[in-house]
Amino acid sequence: MSEVTDVSEVIAGTVQLQARHLTRHFTTRIPGRGFNGKHVVRAVDDVSLDLVAGEVVAVVGESGSGKSVLARMLARIVRPTSGDLILRGSTIPRKAKRSLAYASQVQLVLQDPFASMNPVHKMRHNLVRPLVIHGAKREDVQALAEAALTRVSLEPPSRFLDRYPHELSGGQLQRVSIARALCIEPRVLLADEPISMLDVSVRLGVLNLLRGLCDNDDLAILYITHDIASARYIADEVIVMYAGQVVEHSRGTILVDEPTHPYTQLLIASVPNPDDPTSVGPPTAEQAQIVIAEKGCRFNPRCPFVMDRCRVEEPPEFIVGENHTSRCWLHADKPQFEVEVALPRRRGEGEITKT
Amino acid sequence: MSTESIEASGVVTSANVTSDVSVVTTTHTDQRTGGPAMGQRILDIRNFSVDYGWGEGAVRAVNNVDLHLNRSTVLGIAGESGSGKSTLVYGFTRLLRAPGVIAGGEALFNLQSEDGTDIIVDLVTASEKELRKVRWSNISVVLQSALSALNPVLRVGTQFEQVLKTHRRDMSKADRRARTVELLALVGLNEDRLRRYPHELSGGQRQRVMIALALALDPQLVIMDEPTTALDVVTQREIISKLFELRSRFGFAMIFITHDLSLLVELADEIVVMYAGEIVERASAQALYDTPRHPYTLGLLNSFPPMHGVRTELTGIPGSPPDLAQLPTGCNFNPRCPYAMERCLKESPSLADLGEDGRSVACWLHSGDAGVVVPVELRRTGKGKREPAPMPVKRDVS
Ligand SMILES: Nc1ncnc2c1ncn2[C@@H]1O[C@H](COP(=O)(O)OP(=O)(O)OP(=O)(O)O)[C@@H](O)[C@H]1O
Ligand SMILES: Nc1ncnc2c1ncn2[C@@H]1O[C@H](COP(=O)(O)OP(=O)(O)OP(=O)(O)O)[C@@H](O)[C@H]1O
Ligand code: SF4
Ligand SMILES: [Mg+2]
Ligand SMILES: [Mg+2]
Repeated sequence: MSEVTDVSEVIAGTVQLQARHLTRHFTTRIPGRGFNGKHVVRAVDDVSLDLVAGEVVAVVGESGSGKSVLARMLARIVRPTSGDLILRGSTIPRKAKRSLAYASQVQLVLQDPFASMNPVHKMRHNLVRPLVIHGAKREDVQALAEAALTRVSLEPPSRFLDRYPHELSGGQLQRVSIARALCIEPRVLLADEPISMLDVSVRLGVLNLLRGLCDNDDLAILYITHDIASARYIADEVIVMYAGQVVEHSRGTILVDEPTHPYTQLLIASVPNPDDPTSVGPPTAEQAQIVIAEKGCRFNPRCPFVMDRCRVEEPPEFIVGENHTSRCWLHADKPQFEVEVALPRRRGEGEITKT
Repeated sequence: MSTESIEASGVVTSANVTSDVSVVTTTHTDQRTGGPAMGQRILDIRNFSVDYGWGEGAVRAVNNVDLHLNRSTVLGIAGESGSGKSTLVYGFTRLLRAPGVIAGGEALFNLQSEDGTDIIVDLVTASEKELRKVRWSNISVVLQSALSALNPVLRVGTQFEQVLKTHRRDMSKADRRARTVELLALVGLNEDRLRRYPHELSGGQRQRVMIALALALDPQLVIMDEPTTALDVVTQREIISKLFELRSRFGFAMIFITHDLSLLVELADEIVVMYAGEIVERASAQALYDTPRHPYTLGLLNSFPPMHGVRTELTGIPGSPPDLAQLPTGCNFNPRCPYAMERCLKESPSLADLGEDGRSVACWLHSGDAGVVVPVELRRTGKGKREPAPMPVKRDVS
């Protein structure tokens, strides 16, 4: 099996990891209904995206929208029900086990830095272990660990190596877990809500760090969040998920400034806006009830614009602007969008193709 | 939906609070009817301090806090994690558990009888028995901790039943039932939810149940400790607008705690900002947002990326949150403050009135001393949109 192991130079704008039609369904039993009481959760449904060197793709969505399942599939911790992963041009065989080679290029950082760090070991151990697993030479590990800490602005590194997790603040610990992911020089960093457990005062520091890694080291970053303002702050591309689907997707942050999907509009209207408290009305009770439709548009029970068609037919993604799609029947007059498989792309061109 | 991941807050209910711990309010002891006129004041906290632990190892989590609140107004408390927001509230409502101890101060609560006479009670010195007597009816608290949330083994309806039974002895079973349905309707829930167990509700629904419970006995003061932090923004927005609709209908005063300063600016009449257990700034919500005076407040405001305008790099607050066991000498904020002067390293500033509409701030920059130049971003007087005003960068010196 030839998974990618080449170490050629990473050029900003080159595609590192692609997801094509990634789908994951979970079958759960409904208690009290015997063996037939099965329920299928469509956790992630037909999601395609490209992670590009030097860019941040943000995935925004409410709790349960499938963000973590998506990240885990991209890290190959969760196996997709269907769909493909393409790492630097090679399609990963679907049945293959997650290999070290894959892990060395695609690293996942989790929400809770306290849970992801072994509490009985010092930072040194927590950092050195992945290095050793990934074949670093014994005599090099100290220097590599120190370099990783320096990269995340924990300086001088010697002051942090001999501390235990409980001796660091949440923000510092999250930096260490990013350092740990970075020390084996991955091409792709998947960050699943990296700031949501951190204190407000230190969140920006971690966001700026991620942005810097992208700009200076040409890392490809997937930034998962439920905070759309932070997505707007660092992203080059934004994806909004609802009930496992991509409902709106744009290059740049145009979907935040000019949202076209009713769910994105609701999401944005709900963010506190002290500059203009009167600018938007609060959502109505119906809108805030999280009901996911089994039929038609998944958002239709909450949608203020719902039409008959929305209740029976699931909308495809429509092209609402340059590099901007929206899964909503309100845009049915526009051309439909289809993802081309493994399309090589350069920065700023051909991300979205018409069919 | 992954309901487990949704952290709920707890209302202190008779269902999960044993008789010797608990909320609030007294009638008789320490009554100082006709004492200092409080009038519109509902709460007056003075020199209030709380320690965790005793003797050598004690850590001061709330230090010398002065706070007051008028009837029917909303006070917001902001500040980073560990700044003492919850401890303050647990302290003056007497919900504090060991090793937390009230180290001093008073918390005067004005019960105000129906004919309008002030009945002032010091919550700090009131006995447990007296606290219990009118528990719930005057102050109700929605706690932050998920552990003390709704009793997981009781149906929602039963929990309302228990509260009403304990505190409204004169109510018949039918009355209680009617009142419960009415309360649920207030928060936009159908009565079919009464037969559900808490785990059968979504996080947002549980939150609404708790708000309904908090309002069960028509309190005069409702305290919400991070009631919506764990919820999605859409749900959060819905619950908050419900809460405010109820407030304007029933006129209770509210203390709203959150780390989300931008939310508070929208909700509160007045905001206090806490840092390391002390209040560092107090102002009307809009003034605090438009023209912050304390460098920490400015830093907090700069920590929220804006939803509009050009994207610019924000700096937030440099350095790490303070360690209460090792506070610096002088101003607590000095290790992180880009403006720190000689004096800041030696002397601790106290909260001083600025002579601007009741605003006060604890910062030497505003002491009015000759020779101290207030940085432009902390003295602006203009109204209107606040551009993210960058703070100078300070290297982590800790
Ligand atoms: N192992 C599993 N078995 C069954 N259902 C699952 C499993 N893992 C996830 N799900 C379901 O898949 C959906 C998506 O979950 P996911 O954790 O990806 O959401 P999320 O967007 O990350 O939410 P949050 O913001 O709360 O982290 C949810 O409905 C969840 O209950
Ligand atoms: N039981 C305890 N024992 C010792 N210290 C405690 C205890 N509970 C809280 N503290 C300390 O008291 C300080 C204030 O905590 P508190 O919970 O009041 O902060 P907070 O402002 O509510 O923070 P958050 O936003 O995280 O809820 C913290 O430094 C905390 O570590
Ligand atoms: S497709 Fe229909 S229901 Fe769905 S978001 Fe668009 S208008 Fe609303
Ligand atoms: Mg998740
Ligand atoms: Mg708290």
